Amino acid sequence: MPGQTQDSARIEPARPRESPLALGVRAILRKRSSRVAIIVLGVIVMIAILAPFIAPYDPAAQPDIVAGKDLPPSLAHPFGTDPYSRDVLSRVIYGARLSLTIGILATMVSLTFGVAYGAIAGYASGLVDGVMMRLLDALLSIPRLLLLLGVLVAWPHLSIGSLILFLGLTGWFGLSRIVRGQVLALKHAEFVTAAEALGASRRRILVRHLLPNLVSPIAVASTLGIAHVIVLEAGLSYLGIGVPQPMASWGNIIYDGTDQIARLWWMSLFPGLFMVITVMTLNVLGESLRDVYERR
Amino acid sequence: MLRYLARRLGQAAVIVAIVATITFALIHLAPGDPFSEILDNPNVSEKVRVTLRAQYGLDRPLAEQFVRYVNALAHGELGWSFSHDRPVSEVLSNALPNTLLLMSVALVGSFVLGILVALIQVARKGTAVDHTISAVTLFFFSMPDFWLGILALLAFTYWLPIFPVGGAVDPVMHEFLGLGGRIIDRLRHLMLPALTLTVLASASVARFQRAALLDVLPADYIRTARLKGLTERQVLRRHALRNALLPIITLIGLSFPALLTGAFFIEKIFAWPGMGYAVVTAIGRRDYALVVGGVIIGSIMVTLGSLLADLLYAWADPRLRAH
Repeated sequence: MPGQTQDSARIEPARPRESPLALGVRAILRKRSSRVAIIVLGVIVMIAILAPFIAPYDPAAQPDIVAGKDLPPSLAHPFGTDPYSRDVLSRVIYGARLSLTIGILATMVSLTFGVAYGAIAGYASGLVDGVMMRLLDALLSIPRLLLLLGVLVAWPHLSIGSLILFLGLTGWFGLSRIVRGQVLALKHAEFVTAAEALGASRRRILVRHLLPNLVSPIAVASTLGIAHVIVLEAGLSYLGIGVPQPMASWGNIIYDGTDQIARLWWMSLFPGLFMVITVMTLNVLGESLRDVYERR
Repeated sequence: MLRYLARRLGQAAVIVAIVATITFALIHLAPGDPFSEILDNPNVSEKVRVTLRAQYGLDRPLAEQFVRYVNALAHGELGWSFSHDRPVSEVLSNALPNTLLLMSVALVGSFVLGILVALIQVARKGTAVDHTISAVTLFFFSMPDFWLGILALLAFTYWLPIFPVGGAVDPVMHEFLGLGGRIIDRLRHLMLPALTLTVLASASVARFQRAALLDVLPADYIRTARLKGLTERQVLRRHALRNALLPIITLIGLSFPALLTGAFFIEKIFAWPGMGYAVVTAIGRRDYALVVGGVIIGSIMVTLGSLLADLLYAWADPRLRAH
């Protein structure tokens, strides 16, 4: 602090503790990179919400399958058209909607499972914890994409809802380990002992006293988690087993162009750019949050 | 050390057993059975269906099927691949060396490149160079593997045709080349997929290593080294890097799943005849046994990778061996 001597810095006045939320918001606003990220992400979210008003064409319409297909970018179709004569710009805009929605919903599923599993393992400890953690080790050693490949090949023709469920169900392993660690560390904190002394039930301690202290790791994990799911969903759609036609996600637009990658370059370039920018903003935000929470 | 080794090996075995159980559960929780796709055909009579199911033991009780499955796995049998008309283990073991080649080149390349980049950044900490490189590594870190693969394919085989389009060797000429020619042909085909995977993986190595270096810089021994009059370069190389290398070993273990997943996409895009290519093509043909076999082998590779990293860590950090 400028203008203060070392001694006065040591006797800090008691400050009310900031809530994790306020701390997170301040962390994001303090750094220029995360300010830019939040603006860019805001724009992409607005594009996704306002898709029906922004998209120049119907994303699923195939106006002229003969003369209108495979058109390179032009004024009428800034991102060109695909082999079914659909407008790629409109599909990318609607794709933002679907890719973000899938990312957010799947991450919510992961959070629910990850927090519950980690909190139970950490709080129970002993044999229960041991068994739960060994199972987690095994789950963590199956690469997520491979696990999803196995699942999606066994359940062909999945609806979007089940796809989200599976993406979420394969994404909670890492988080639950963090949550368990936190719970283990806090279990013997004074405020927990106090609550126990007051006769609070285990459930009450878990939900009322331990969970609120997990807000920071959860915020970090969900921001980075959404980014991860967006990339995963795109990868699965690119392999042809993700989002079903005629819906548009960033991955399956690229998939539609893979037969002729060299000729239809606009079909891989534009949706990919949108995806990278979105994922970048989420990664920047997630890391700013992590920096501030970990320094505490 | 021996006890530590035995314990870690035991843990790895338990993990593989659980993975096998999970994949078994996956197969049997799924609607229909592995043959539903072929057998749903109305031209297939009920009799054929019953015979085939009996032949593959799918009419037996679940417990018995599980015992058979585990027994087969223990003998290295992963089932029959319909699309290749060969045992899955044979298809995968033919493809595995290519995947391992791609992964090991990328592993070594990405750690060398990533650590170099991190050193450059830390030496110029807080400058425009550091910020620019950080932005670039973030860009590659955020990039889906398959998208960079597509861009690399577009850029270096079509727009700027430096590299061959795909495959591990030239399909026509390879047979007629001499030994030197064959080696060059292989290297030419390996270059682009390996480079793509290296760039992808090195982004996370660079970001991780930069943070690890910045972590050790405030340490007392670094101050001592500076006070001794060492140049900043010597301080970085001899004192900071050595201590920041320990977390890198952890990262090797952690980077295995990402490297394997990346290899799957890169192999598909460059038609590189590895395990990923075999599994990804099997998806389109609904060759269920081959996909599941790939999942099991992939998980075993990841488990072995993290086991190896743990042992390396114990070797590099004597404090750990004592426990």
